[in-house]
Amino acid sequence: MTERLYQVETEKAIAKIREVDAKMVCIQLPDGMKPYAQEIEAELVSATGVRVLIWLGSNFGACDIPLGLQRMNVDLLISWGHNKFVKKMEGW
Amino acid sequence: MKVLFLDAPYSGPVELCQETLDYVKKFKKVALYASVQFVSKLEKVEEQLKEIGVEFVTSKADRTSVKSQLLGCDSYHDSLRLEEEFDAYLYIGDGKFHPLALVYGQKDNKTMKEIIRNDPLQEKMFLMGIEEIQTILRKYKGSLVKFLSSHNIGVIVTIKPGQEQFRPALALEDKFPEKKFYYFIDNNVSFDHLENFNFIDTWINTTCPRVGFDDQEKFRKGVVNLNDAFLAAEILTKDSLLNKI
Repeated sequence: MTERLYQVETEKAIAKIREVDAKMVCIQLPDGMKPYAQEIEAELVSATGVRVLIWLGSNFGACDIPLGLQRMNVDLLISWGHNKFVKKMEGW
Repeated sequence: MKVLFLDAPYSGPVELCQETLDYVKKFKKVALYASVQFVSKLEKVEEQLKEIGVEFVTSKADRTSVKSQLLGCDSYHDSLRLEEEFDAYLYIGDGKFHPLALVYGQKDNKTMKEIIRNDPLQEKMFLMGIEEIQTILRKYKGSLVKFLSSHNIGVIVTIKPGQEQFRPALALEDKFPEKKFYYFIDNNVSFDHLENFNFIDTWINTTCPRVGFDDQEKFRKGVVNLNDAFLAAEILTKDSLLNKI
């Protein structure tokens, strides 16, 4: 088990997968949490049977949502390390 | 596609270390902020500040849904919506990325309020000031000067919905009718490809404001953030830290 400095809260992820009946999930982690991906994948698969895609690239913030996941039939994106981002339409 | 954000809160205790407690006493009032991993556990810090008689103020920044949370893009202080006066910033979190936003945000001020960073992981205090970004700001000032005298301007727009600022960028054409603006679209900023567009004199960044600052060195022709481009002449004539370095 990787020592976890940050709470991964996989129970919340599992609850959401069940709530939306997701079949294909993408997990997006900030760099410091990327080593947790193996355990998160295992927990999500074992609890729900979902197919997990691990986002390889950046996770700079909640502004940095991967594009084009629908083409892979991803039903749910789970993004760690950030909370809801409120975009300002008129600039920064 | 549904999206679920998980904060990943810090597992350990969030409190001020002795070094911070000793140092922060010299201030009457501090502005308290934290990154998302620590912001939900600030009770102890607030208690400690009360115990030593240091007042604190905070705010809910425009782009967050949580009070006291600091984002890396809060590098223009208007978005913090902090009206009250205070003497120094007190930031709770690990790493420099987020509190650096508080340094950048003061570049156009006459003086800089100190930034005290209390790192709960290392149980240490760090101080941050203008020296953190001096080299970047020197180049940034050069980019502002160059932008004003440039004709061909490359405006970098990202397609990421959280960062896309195409419409605000179009207002550049009204403000600078004598310049020619070319719009470049990308997912992440492809620094390696900038030089292929050799007709561009200066770049404008509209993606994440931190690209314009932290990645300044990657733009050989110079880059200016969108909101600074609109005010370039004013910024360069202000009595400010930027113009003193």
